[in-house]
Amino acid sequence: MTEADSKNTPAISTAQTDPREDGTQLRPGLWETINERYPGSMIRKDSYVPLAQLGKPLAEAQLTLISSCGVHARNDRPLDVCHPFGDFRFRRVPSQLRHEDLIIHQLKYPHDAADVDINVIFPIERLQELAAEGVLGGLTDNFFSFIGYSMDPGKFEQTVARDIAKAVVSEERADVALLAPA
Amino acid sequence: MPTVSVSVARDVTEAIKAPRAIFLPWPMGHHFGVPFHRDIQRRVLFEALKLLETATESGTIRDILIRWAEVRREAKTLTDQGRNL
Repeated sequence: MTEADSKNTPAISTAQTDPREDGTQLRPGLWETINERYPGSMIRKDSYVPLAQLGKPLAEAQLTLISSCGVHARNDRPLDVCHPFGDFRFRRVPSQLRHEDLIIHQLKYPHDAADVDINVIFPIERLQELAAEGVLGGLTDNFFSFIGYSMDPGKFEQTVARDIAKAVVSEERADVALLAPA
Repeated sequence: MPTVSVSVARDVTEAIKAPRAIFLPWPMGHHFGVPFHRDIQRRVLFEALKLLETATESGTIRDILIRWAEVRREAKTLTDQGRNL
């Protein structure tokens, strides 16, 4: 390249937007990537369900926590992280447990930070505080966890989702649910 | 039952049409911030609870624009204070 050529070549900007600084999705295109790598694995809905309204103030409400993070009590059995179609079961996590009582078995997201402090992905101790402070009326006796990876979303809805919903309503009698998809 | 979801993947949340969600521009596995950062963990919870009370339309996604770089800087400060991150 001659000096004349370089003068006619537009400068290439090396400045790129850093998603850590600009507030956009840190891992853009996640939906497309998962569908490429695991075709048919994702639940997609065509319409919204009607918005359920709070039936009572949060200070009187029983809250439950449901997460796909794969956490369970250390004295409980881990879910199957190796099955190619996924594990269509869930675990109850007693809501009064502490970080040291819990362990994560999941392969599909980084949980090194959550291994150090479970509240990074499953904020059980922070919710205990909010209940003690009266921000929440209380916590259900059990929270819920499962492995989000599944290659059969139809079966997933008819097993894990249905069974957790049934337990949350009829056994735990929750008023509201906080969902933390890992 | 009223639900609110905490998401770090806005595109996935849009596709599954969650009734209510807050979106944080943070990495997977860090929905409530960084280890031992009690204030940021509580802030995420309060934002989610607020949306439970205020959303009027199904499909509401509220962007919580706390930059990840800022959270990481605060995590570094915790490390400097001797917290075992």
